[in-house]
Amino acid sequence: MTFMDPLRVRRIFTAFLLLVGFALVLFRLFNLQVLQAGELAVKAERQHEKAITLQGGRGTIYDRQGKVLAINVEVPSVFGVPTSLEDPAPVARQLGRVLHVRPDEIEKKLKQDRSFVWIARKVDPEQGRRLQRMPLEGIGLVLEGRRYYPKGTLLSHVIGFAGMDGEGLEGIERRYDSYLRGEKQTVVLQRDALGRTVFPKGLLQQGPSSGHSVVLTIDETIQYIAEKELEEAVTASRAKGGTVIVMEPRTGAILAMALVPTFDPNSFGSLYADRWRNRAVTDVYEPGSTLKVLLAAAALEDRVMEPQTILFGERGSMTVGNTVIHDHDPSGWMTFAQVLERSSNIGAVKTALALGPERLSRVLRAFGFGERSEIDLPGEAAGLVRDTRSWGRRSLASIAMGQEVAVTPVQLTAALSAVANGGWLMKPHVVAEIRDAKGQTVFQASPLVRRQPISAGTAQKLTRILEGAVTRGTGKSAAVSGYRVAGKTGTAQKVDPRTGTYSTTLFIGSFVGFVPAEDPRLCILVVIDEPQTQSWGGVVAAPVFRRVAEQVLPYLGVTPKEPVRVALAQAETIGAHRAGRAGR
Amino acid sequence: MKILAAATVMSLLLLYVGERVDVVRVGYHVERLKLKRVAIQREYDELRVTASRLTSPERLERVATDRLGMVPPRQGQVILVRLQPEAPSERKPSRPEVRLASQGFSEPGSRIP
Repeated sequence: MTFMDPLRVRRIFTAFLLLVGFALVLFRLFNLQVLQAGELAVKAERQHEKAITLQGGRGTIYDRQGKVLAINVEVPSVFGVPTSLEDPAPVARQLGRVLHVRPDEIEKKLKQDRSFVWIARKVDPEQGRRLQRMPLEGIGLVLEGRRYYPKGTLLSHVIGFAGMDGEGLEGIERRYDSYLRGEKQTVVLQRDALGRTVFPKGLLQQGPSSGHSVVLTIDETIQYIAEKELEEAVTASRAKGGTVIVMEPRTGAILAMALVPTFDPNSFGSLYADRWRNRAVTDVYEPGSTLKVLLAAAALEDRVMEPQTILFGERGSMTVGNTVIHDHDPSGWMTFAQVLERSSNIGAVKTALALGPERLSRVLRAFGFGERSEIDLPGEAAGLVRDTRSWGRRSLASIAMGQEVAVTPVQLTAALSAVANGGWLMKPHVVAEIRDAKGQTVFQASPLVRRQPISAGTAQKLTRILEGAVTRGTGKSAAVSGYRVAGKTGTAQKVDPRTGTYSTTLFIGSFVGFVPAEDPRLCILVVIDEPQTQSWGGVVAAPVFRRVAEQVLPYLGVTPKEPVRVALAQAETIGAHRAGRAGR
Repeated sequence: MKILAAATVMSLLLLYVGERVDVVRVGYHVERLKLKRVAIQREYDELRVTASRLTSPERLERVATDRLGMVPPRQGQVILVRLQPEAPSERKPSRPEVRLASQGFSEPGSRIP
């Protein structure tokens, strides 16, 4: 019996083991690389590739001077991982101190049986920096885009606001959402074992571009002047609210649109819709005597009246269709121009009766009443001019006094701008330009003519009459030293919502005019809603017109054509200055 | 000969591996730069917000009146000075180019008669 050499046996055994080992490895390789190849490739891709959706930042909103009104900034949001926290109480206390939130509220969130909770979203960057410096267990920060309105309440009703997820909800933010919204793009990133991005697929691929920038026709300074003066007037008259619109008559560009009460779009969530609704566009009111301007325009255009036509004022009282019409200042004989200067209801009613419903309705509609002005703001109301078939003599009389007709402040401003603009009705607009992310202009607004409701000659005659209403009539408080002002006051009764009839205590005082009358640069409407001290438009609204105009005209470089009454330069404190103005 | 071939193959392999390592290194660098750019952009935006807030008319007026003791000019105290005599053509600002609303944006402009 021969025995094999033990060395050889060992060699064979080792070779066998190696063979088996290699066979196993090969089998495993075959299994991984061939049999499970597809499934594992997907798994691997999932581990080292990550597809994420990026959204470009929302575009910026500027005023006409390039001042930033709304901008997107990346701010930190704070989240917690409750499952990784053993004792949330001390963490909640530390967080509460920085975020100014009650610690028990935070603790409640951190005690939830969840792996992720938001503690606070889109907080102040400084708060984020403080939190980053604090070693907090189970708390993390992520950056999110937040819409920020650095001017606070300024122009809030026009700009509107964007929601938490960056969608425009109100104002320009909503109307121009498709332009402002950033581009969405999905990119695939390759990550290493530590989760860091190694080498993105398509390195040369540009990221998603930001949304377009919108440049408004609004001027921040003019807006501030309008808001400040309106706020003072509303406070002084203890009114419910008010509106001021400043428009460039020649182009239809809105330079300011102020509303009181106002709101801060940075924290709109806590307010009701009627606080942030742009009432200058969405709400209608009965314009009162300011409508007599358009009645006069119709009468002059159709040559029913001339400025020197004589009318009898019935000594202040006249009956039309069982309704007694009164004048504030009873008159005897007066010219048609004096009808507007004195804002005579009887004169206006007689004019309307002479004109007839068809012609009056035609001119009102031609001035844009009863249809949207097509201003580039959301939620615009069309107003109301009823069908002439439902106009009786009494309705005609009411309409002559600016009742039974509903207009928006923007419509009335545009209509008076047409008088200032030689009879041409322009389309009001608030956006001057839209630029893409690279700064290229994609849209530039140009003045758009809607129609010409009256001739240039009629507009000129009417301007002279309206100048008289300011120099001699009810609008004396609107006179601006050094400039010729044309305008008209209005005091309208409001409908009492409880009784459904005209209230004897609720009024709207207004003034609408333009300046300089010979070459109008500004058309300004002032509406004071439910003033409690005095209700007359000439008392509560006309002074606001004057104060806005006398600040804005020099700002725009409009030189006075007449000698200016120079005020005595005397030392005074701001407090005294303000007190003096409030008392006027 | 064999050694030369092996050396060539090894060199090519090393070159390839070196290139790959370089690509990854550059990738990390690019990512760092991108993060830096994002941080700078964020800082720039924050500064724009701060600048915008600081130059708001309301704040300027408050600083001018409360801190610097200024008062708003009264009627007649603002005097506009014309630097050059008015040329006849400058007397009135020229009428802006206007279009009919019904013409839409793409139509050529027309002037108010």
